[in-house]
Amino acid sequence: MHEEIIHTNNTSKEKQNYTMLELGSTPAYGWPAFKQVVKRSLSRELFVGLWLTIKEMGKTLFLGGKHTTQYPFEKLPISPRYRAIHNMLRLLESGHYRCIGCGLCEKICISNCIAMETRYDENQRKEVSEYTINFGRCIYCGYCAEVCPELAIVHGGRYETASEQRASFSLFDDMLTPIDVLKQQQEFAGFGSVSPNADAAIKKTPLAY
Amino acid sequence: MDIRENRAQKINVTIDGKVCEATTDDTILRIARKNGVYIPTMCYLSKVEPIASCRMCVVEVEGVEGAILSCQARATDGAVITTKSSNLHKQRQNIMKLYNVNHPLECGVCDKSGECDLQNKTLEFGVNTQSFTAKDMSRPVENWGFVSYDPALCIMCEKCVRVANEITGNEALQISTGGYKSSIVNVKKDFNDASLGESAAVCPVGALVSTDFKYTSNSWELDKIPATCAHCSSGCSLYYEVKNDKIYRVTNDFEFRSLCGAGRFGFDFANENTSKDNEAFHKAITAFREADTITFSSHITNEEALILQKLKEKYNYRLVCDEAYGYQQFLKAFGSVSGESLYGANLESLSNSKGIIVLGGRINDDNPMVKYHITMASKRNRARVAYMHPIEDSNISNIVTQFIKYEVGSEEGVAALLANALLQDKELPQGLRDFLNDLDIGNISAESNIGEEELAALVQSLDKKEGFTLVIGSDLYNHPRAVQIAKLIGAIQKYSSFDVLLVPPFTNALGVALICTLDEKVGNYTVGYNAVGDFELSCLGEGDLDMPALNQQEGTFTTIDKRVVPTNVASSYNGYVLNDIANALDLKSIYTIDYTSKLPVKAGFKAMAFDELPFGFDIAGVEHRGYLLVSKPIKAIEIFEEIEEIPAYDGAIIYRCNLNGQFGMLSNRTKALKQDEIYLKGSVQFAIVSKISDGDEVEYIVDGIKYKRIFKLDSSLKGTIALHQNYDMGLSSTLVSSYRFSHLTLEQ
Ligand code: SF4
Ligand code: SF4
Ligand code: SF4
Ligand code: SF4
Ligand code: FES
Repeated sequence: MHEEIIHTNNTSKEKQNYTMLELGSTPAYGWPAFKQVVKRSLSRELFVGLWLTIKEMGKTLFLGGKHTTQYPFEKLPISPRYRAIHNMLRLLESGHYRCIGCGLCEKICISNCIAMETRYDENQRKEVSEYTINFGRCIYCGYCAEVCPELAIVHGGRYETASEQRASFSLFDDMLTPIDVLKQQQEFAGFGSVSPNADAAIKKTPLAY
Repeated sequence: MDIRENRAQKINVTIDGKVCEATTDDTILRIARKNGVYIPTMCYLSKVEPIASCRMCVVEVEGVEGAILSCQARATDGAVITTKSSNLHKQRQNIMKLYNVNHPLECGVCDKSGECDLQNKTLEFGVNTQSFTAKDMSRPVENWGFVSYDPALCIMCEKCVRVANEITGNEALQISTGGYKSSIVNVKKDFNDASLGESAAVCPVGALVSTDFKYTSNSWELDKIPATCAHCSSGCSLYYEVKNDKIYRVTNDFEFRSLCGAGRFGFDFANENTSKDNEAFHKAITAFREADTITFSSHITNEEALILQKLKEKYNYRLVCDEAYGYQQFLKAFGSVSGESLYGANLESLSNSKGIIVLGGRINDDNPMVKYHITMASKRNRARVAYMHPIEDSNISNIVTQFIKYEVGSEEGVAALLANALLQDKELPQGLRDFLNDLDIGNISAESNIGEEELAALVQSLDKKEGFTLVIGSDLYNHPRAVQIAKLIGAIQKYSSFDVLLVPPFTNALGVALICTLDEKVGNYTVGYNAVGDFELSCLGEGDLDMPALNQQEGTFTTIDKRVVPTNVASSYNGYVLNDIANALDLKSIYTIDYTSKLPVKAGFKAMAFDELPFGFDIAGVEHRGYLLVSKPIKAIEIFEEIEEIPAYDGAIIYRCNLNGQFGMLSNRTKALKQDEIYLKGSVQFAIVSKISDGDEVEYIVDGIKYKRIFKLDSSLKGTIALHQNYDMGLSSTLVSSYRFSHLTLEQ
């Protein structure tokens, strides 16, 4: 059913075509209104939509389709660039810790939370006799990892920093790769690691041999 | 002051377009520095003669072919000098490249990192690649005791060698040349010499370092506390370098000044773990109320001395300070003839002297800084050095040109002979001339055992020279005839061309002598401040009430240079201080340093507040530290007495003298200097006379204290005088009121 309505005040002076919908009458009081709701709710569309949900529920519940990570039993892998509690790495060949006690991390630390002591040891090396990071103050800026000339201090992925003792996991030995898992020590790829083109960029020193 | 400067003429030179006023004796480098023009150097050290080994300081002088080494070359009038050009830059860059050949890349652990000349200049000249090479070789680190040497790091600048020869005079270091194999060798390795610390201090790289400090801290982690050394009366300027309330090391402005081994390594004498012990404090107040005498050590600040003096004025205490009393009397008697309250010389004038006489002190052990300055004079000016003492000292034989031995006890006669010799052709007042003419020279010569020809030779050796210093040691201050001796020395100061240096016997003895009115004898009940007493206040931590040690307080000292210098707190202290006691006794002052501005102006001090006192050196090496005392004119009364008969000192004699850089109660508390075995050292002859042999344990009494010592033969000694040390005696080591020589009576 088309009707032509001519708007006489339309400036375009063109004809506009409108289609009128047949909506039936709006229920005016309680009972017819209730009937309308029931009729609309229980018609098929609802179950068409719900079917997908029920199907997925079935898959999840009975066919092993769960996607939830079972934290804290399960943790998601974290990007190497994430900056959490530090790791202290070892040399892969000798197993000796890499830190030479240069103190650059201590110096650069923006929140002044690295404290270390060094001494001259029996092998004429500079030994790191004390090394702690106060994680109550650390802001995980990553400067220490970046400045370290030995790739000794790096950020790890350990982001849970709740503990009973402030001192927990802040000592050198807590951060150091345990010697028995030395083989699994990963070279760090995040903040402060060597650039991918490091080999090409290096300048060779002449040697008289 | 600088005698050389007087003869120099004024000139003008142009450096990089800047017209600079200078004198003909100044090197181009010094002129440039004074005028703020920067010339890079690697081997230049202001306090020694130019070394000229690095060639970094090359400059171009208009009209002169080739490069000029500015550290060495003196300027001529009208010279036009260029210090910067691309050619010079290239030369300097090449030098830095050579220095870097095979230099181990160990800045990460090196002690010097952060204050290393090699690091700095490598960066400054942009040496970021290496184009030269030499075959590397094994060069192990050598441990020389107090210092360690790493030849791999050494750049052969020679500074250490120069300091060892020219300043400390230990002559232990030499260069072993051999091109790339060159290194420094220690020819006196058997003797662990703390004065090598001076050589380590000037090392521009990490090659020569303190063994104890090595690898314990990066330099930038340490706070520098400007302070004054507390060990002897020289009062050298130093910095305690501190981290976490612990002193890690001592450094100094090594470019211009030096420290002796004790100053450099003996820093950990603080009185630790103290607290405010109220009970002990109240006992102390009671003791002060009861006492009629305060005995004290001169190892205190000027402010504390003033507090004691004020207490005396208020409560009529007797003030007894063995360490300063004799010196005070001596200074007074000296002034009564010289007409000045202070002596004329200082360390700098001493090092510029051309002729030096040392009388009455074992100067190498008594005051290393005096010895260093005599060494400088000897090495630079080829100064004549006459050493007059009953015991020859083999440690200074390299600088002494004439040793004049006299008999123990004959110092009065010696002083008279010396005055007579030095004042021979001078214009003198009649009284003094008559006194000298009346001297029985023959008799005195015979008794003191000084040949007339010895003094004649001395006087002759000084002929046609100028700039003389007479150094007086502490044998004379407690001599029975000290007053008369002091007057004779005063006459020498006044009428001869000699300037006198009355070496104060102990830390701040000069300050105490000027501030306190001292008494000779103690009364019935004494409070001892760092000294023996019925109630003892002690910085050694073993007395009735704890006191802060001298590195735990702020205040001032008066040094041998007649300079009032500030010192600061390097180590924390939580107990009571003397000022607390004084406040409890109604002297009102919040801080001890409130007394700094109240030091007696009459005695030459200035009314300057503590916080106004400067500390440091300017670029030309002039010291700006505290202020200089003003010498006050004294009305001279020249009355001399007859020379007394010389008492006989026969048989075995001992001489009170701490050896090997020990000074007293403080030095032996330190980790680096502490010695467990303390010997009575004597010659074979002494052993025979006193019927003892090497290794015997002997007991004897000096100054009322009983000593138990192992006797040790010392081949460097001769004669019947043994060296007796007392630095391990704690507070008792301040009991030094007697003449330094005494008869040895062994207790059986
Ligand atoms: S991450 Fe930043 S704040 Fe934390 S220790 Fe390193 S430098 Fe200091
Ligand atoms: S920067 Fe690296 S090598 Fe240096 S102290 Fe820190 S962790 Fe050790
Ligand atoms: S001496 Fe200087 S350049 Fe050499 S390792 Fe030490 S800090 Fe680095
Ligand atoms: S040890 Fe030091 S001061 Fe001595 S020559 Fe070598 S670099 Fe110079
Ligand atoms: S500073 Fe002149 S040669 Fe080294």
